[in-house]
Amino acid sequence: MTDVRPLSLLCELTYRCNLQCPYCYNPLDLDGYRDELDTATWQRVIGEAADMGIVQLGFSGGEPTLRRDLPTLISSAARRGLYTNLITQGTFLDDGRIAELAAAGLDHIQISLQAPERELADEIAGTVVHDRKLDAIARVQKSAIALTLNCVLHRNNHDSMAAVIELAAAFGVRKLELANVQFYGWAYRNRGGLMPTREQVAHGLQVATDAKRRFAGQMEIVYVLPDYFEDRPKACMHGWGRAFMTVAPNGKTMPCPGAAAISSLTFDNVRERGLAQIWSQSSAFTTYRGTDWMPDPCRSCERREIDWGGCRCQAFALTGNAAAVDPACALSPDHDIILALRETGDRHPTLVPRRMREVAAPAVGVGRSAIPEM
Amino acid sequence: MRLRTEDDGTAMLLVPEGAIKLNASAAAALALVDGQRTVDEIVAALCARFDVGEARARDDVTALLERLCMRRMLVLS
Repeated sequence: MTDVRPLSLLCELTYRCNLQCPYCYNPLDLDGYRDELDTATWQRVIGEAADMGIVQLGFSGGEPTLRRDLPTLISSAARRGLYTNLITQGTFLDDGRIAELAAAGLDHIQISLQAPERELADEIAGTVVHDRKLDAIARVQKSAIALTLNCVLHRNNHDSMAAVIELAAAFGVRKLELANVQFYGWAYRNRGGLMPTREQVAHGLQVATDAKRRFAGQMEIVYVLPDYFEDRPKACMHGWGRAFMTVAPNGKTMPCPGAAAISSLTFDNVRERGLAQIWSQSSAFTTYRGTDWMPDPCRSCERREIDWGGCRCQAFALTGNAAAVDPACALSPDHDIILALRETGDRHPTLVPRRMREVAAPAVGVGRSAIPEM
Repeated sequence: MRLRTEDDGTAMLLVPEGAIKLNASAAAALALVDGQRTVDEIVAALCARFDVGEARARDDVTALLERLCMRRMLVLS
């Protein structure tokens, strides 16, 4: 058994999505998750979460509103007293759908915005979405559901940050998250195309600091720095296997949404084991829980129970060893990797759109364009 | 936001994608926030229930509510 109790469960209902944002943190092998859990299994998992004392439930994806049973699952969670969050790109939130979600007991919606300008937003999403998102924001604001607006920042939209803040204020949004892209999944693959410049990150911090002052008491603004531009790692997920659980569309259960990329770990599935058993016994959770696994200098660091060694997914992605010191830390022997990326960024203009299935390069002479799948 | 009391009597405030642990006095004050009571009524109710002076109770309640208002979790009207 373990003395730490999870507080939050993220239900990734599906990886299907009608958008193709190149900064998505979902795994690259999306097609491997098509065998989605059915309604009854999700309901069982939600019940087990409530039994374990979990208090926060997130529904995300992919695009979770593509699941027709979303209101059913929300009411299952609400009935058990869980605080329910929907993380959506918002393009399906018409009046009927919002009323349905509110009636199911949904507490909070987070809508993502690609950019404040239509042309840029639609270009980033790879399809026409911007006006529908603005409609959705206005509709949610009229409902009883709390709204957070989120914009993932990267090199192509960073300079529009001030306009995102103005847009959010114009809608009377209560909470705005301006989160620099973190490099996992598709975002890692597209790192060279997404990496902001040092000037953008520094300017962004200034813009955010000013806006926080200007909108104090009116709109809460959160500006998340990119790990690659910091000298101390973040306390990723409040520590590995300490507070968070994620269940992927096919039932694979992980300490965080990015963990599937760590190929040295084996994950249990809620189809085969209960959520509580996975939390306390699954090697994917216990391997990096606490401080015993830590190498030096983490092991003797006074911050070891503050940042919990940073991010295992980042350590694995950058060094090939998930037990390595997070290279984002200036004390890491691999910190030079981060410094080099910060300076040069390995920057290039190419972005690969997020797709359900890898699209092979067209054969020479064939002008067929790839049609993304839902 | 929503106030949640655990089996062991501890309380937490559930907010979008987060939870804030509350000490006993904050929990007692927020349990009285129902959209109807005024700040004066909340202070009076706390003074009646706990061994606390009116000035101290008012300072603590005001500070707590102001913090929540700053984060737009609560609106004073």
